[in-house]
Amino acid sequence: MTRVHAVSAQLDEPAARIGGKARGLAELHRLGLPVPPAVVVTTGVCRGVLATGRLPGGLVEEVTAALRDLAPRASTVAVRSGAAVSMPGMMRTVLGVDLPGALDGALREVFASWDAPRARTYRTLHDIPHHRGTAAIVQVMVDGARDGHSGSGVAFSRDPNTGEPVPFGDVLFGHRGPDVVSGRVRTHPLGELAGREPALWPELTAALARAERRLRRPCYVEFTHESGRLWFLQLRPAPVTGRAALRIAVDLADAGLIDRREAVRRTTGHDLEHARTPILADPGVLAGQGTGAGPGVVSGRIATTAGSAVRLAADGPVVLVRPETSPDDMHGLAAAAGILTTRGGPACHAAVVARALGRPAVVGAADIAVDPVAGTVTTRAGTVGEGTVLTIDGTTGRVVLGHAGSTVDDADPHRDRLLGWADDISGNRSPRSAADRLRDAHAVLPATEDRR
Amino acid sequence: MPTTTPPDLLVLHTLRCTGHTGVERIAAATGLRCAGIESELIDLGAAGLVVRTSGPFAAWGLSARGRAADAERTAAELAAAGTRPAVIAGLDRFLELNPELLDLCAAWQLRPGPGGRTVVNDHTDPAHDARVLDRFTDLDRRAAAVCAELTAALGRFGRYRPRLALALRRVRAGDLREATDSVTSFHAVWAELHEDLLATLGIPR
Repeated sequence: MTRVHAVSAQLDEPAARIGGKARGLAELHRLGLPVPPAVVVTTGVCRGVLATGRLPGGLVEEVTAALRDLAPRASTVAVRSGAAVSMPGMMRTVLGVDLPGALDGALREVFASWDAPRARTYRTLHDIPHHRGTAAIVQVMVDGARDGHSGSGVAFSRDPNTGEPVPFGDVLFGHRGPDVVSGRVRTHPLGELAGREPALWPELTAALARAERRLRRPCYVEFTHESGRLWFLQLRPAPVTGRAALRIAVDLADAGLIDRREAVRRTTGHDLEHARTPILADPGVLAGQGTGAGPGVVSGRIATTAGSAVRLAADGPVVLVRPETSPDDMHGLAAAAGILTTRGGPACHAAVVARALGRPAVVGAADIAVDPVAGTVTTRAGTVGEGTVLTIDGTTGRVVLGHAGSTVDDADPHRDRLLGWADDISGNRSPRSAADRLRDAHAVLPATEDRR
Repeated sequence: MPTTTPPDLLVLHTLRCTGHTGVERIAAATGLRCAGIESELIDLGAAGLVVRTSGPFAAWGLSARGRAADAERTAAELAAAGTRPAVIAGLDRFLELNPELLDLCAAWQLRPGPGGRTVVNDHTDPAHDARVLDRFTDLDRRAAAVCAELTAALGRFGRYRPRLALALRRVRAGDLREATDSVTSFHAVWAELHEDLLATLGIPR
């Protein structure tokens, strides 16, 4: 079987052979969107490399030739891992690899990262078989740090916090992609791209709309613009939950992308429960303002390190306050009832983790400063230490000192309409709880989408 | 012959690595007896190096001077032992294991739930817990080698190995808090070791 495939609209190999990322790139091609020329080396090659410790004969030449067919003058590439099941942050990406000299080492490094102990542990914990291996994507390098008209970003087709039908995400001007998701650099709201690169904005928003029509789901893309030219590097369905998921299901049905049965089928009991997320009632004196990155209001004692969050959490709710977070803070994020960062945007590490955990989070509160060594937090309302109670609102991005009350916005027309559709499906209109109404509808719906 | 750290420095340095804490936890970290620790704390307090906070969270902690004194004395101890390169190598190996340990802690606290969501691990799925514990045990084996190297470089690092092993034994015996959720947990001891390595080498967080 072919071990190197050109990434194109025609590429339709299973994810088990070429990985999820290559399939996303092929989908971008089919949408007619600009993707840097790329080839993918299959997971089978990875399995061989892991068994023998070296690349099969002629592979580097084959990859180089396949890439030069697509891009005759290609000289610098990025080599990315891409397994069938996403293993975020566990494997290697090597940027700025010179062809063909450095390719051997970069490919071996990416394949070997499949077997790093940490990746093995991750797979054990997530029920992913160890024998599969990862594909490797060799892609012409586009450089977001190249000049004043370059940058990188991530974009959602709809706001993943509220479900509003507006593009949402982060952009960094003059930086490469890894900086955007690292949380180490202060990102800008995606909308700033419109002012900085007015020609690219309509191109990006049109691409998001087109991707959504194809996937019939909210989409997530990673992009880089290099010298004023837009390139897409990743496409996948955007994970959304709670109020946002309800609203998007209803809006997609109204737009005719899915039918009402599918809107109800996609809604989970968990979404319904979280659709009634409270927001801060009366903020009073604001201690800070950031971006809401995980909805909900929570009060808790301040911890400024992951370690102290774990310790303090033994005595009640904790809000972890960090300049930014990294995977090294996972234990603290897990222990905290809420998360506040002073840097980072709505798709930074802290935001993604908070949403995954269903924790309220505010990110990028630039008017707050944290000193984890001294254990102090300086806010617009004064400087306080670890253990002081603070309240965050992960919907509005507001931060106040002390305990603050919250209110539930009961008027949610999307929720009401969706539950009405659920009753149409079940044929049961007796008064009962929202969870029961959804469950009765699910009972008569197939487990997977019925496309008629 | 490994260096022997004097008890007053052991107490001082434990407070540096654990933050504010009580006598019993210092005893667990140093292997000293509580009475001896109290007398060291009184002397250190008289010298202005440690302070006792009162109230519901009463505990001992370092003063700014105590922090400076600890940095100076641990640096001198390391210089006298002449094993800085070995401790740096130990930190490098520790940092290779650290992300994996944190993944394991997260997996102990959270598990995959319905609809691809992550839910709090309520420890009702023995298969999940067993899987995480297996990986904990595997990592612990690799950590033991790092601890042995560090102990050869500086004797006081020898206290970490038995504390980590004890925590893991307790988890296996059914005390589920001893993995990540108590001050004597594997994670808590691990975090102390991390802080100790950084403090000993004078590397800021």
